[in-house]
Amino acid sequence: MTDPRFAEIEGHRPYLMRYALAQLRDGQMAEEAVQEALLAALEAVSSFAGQSSLRTWLTSILRFKVIDLQRRAVTERSRAEPGDLSAASDDEGWLDELFDETGHWRQAPQAWSDPQAALEQRRFWEAFERCLDRLPVMGGRVFFKREVMGEDTETICKEESITASNCWVILHRARLALRSCLEKNWFGKEATGR
Amino acid sequence: MEKKPQGADGADCREASRLLSVAYERHLSSTESVSLTYHLDRCLMCRNFDSQLKFLHQASERFRSGGR
Repeated sequence: MTDPRFAEIEGHRPYLMRYALAQLRDGQMAEEAVQEALLAALEAVSSFAGQSSLRTWLTSILRFKVIDLQRRAVTERSRAEPGDLSAASDDEGWLDELFDETGHWRQAPQAWSDPQAALEQRRFWEAFERCLDRLPVMGGRVFFKREVMGEDTETICKEESITASNCWVILHRARLALRSCLEKNWFGKEATGR
Repeated sequence: MEKKPQGADGADCREASRLLSVAYERHLSSTESVSLTYHLDRCLMCRNFDSQLKFLHQASERFRSGGR
């Protein structure tokens, strides 16, 4: 009963949770979907042939749990709740924290040394997840859909009930925050004025 | 150093970084591309940002299939 892959499967839970949250927005439902998917995966682990990566296999199981929960939710509630539009406002005041009045970087982006090597390190991915966690809720969700899941912007706008330009602002903001977080926490160079 | 171009002739870092990001979502107009290129030729910080966006894009894709 103690397949060594059980622990490995469990290790993908944070990623799966992120995936489910991007789709469902509701923490409890996402939890439920992940739980059901993991149970299904544990039962079926012997059928996992290793053709795809374990994460890809788990994600495809989860995808159907998510669709199932979405269908159930739609029948339970006739109307979906509106997204947090405050996060999507056109107010660009937040940019002033990053750029001075002449439009220059306050904290200049540094040259990162050997980013390709980082991709091979387990600790880099932990830092990457921590930085994703620090993004504002909507920014994190939109970034995840766009960059990780590779959804197109049009689909995301529809799902989030936001305009395309809102979506671009949210993505830009998330990318700026993420690069700054990785620079501080991984690439580690002190980002001083210039 | 040469003087900073106005409007369509060049972007500042704030505008250049916005264009670099939005280029992942839509086509840039020729005015935008010209102004962005002009700025990038002269700004190491924005070139760093450009590389970092590419890296984020690549890392995110890899994250989907399990990261490490």
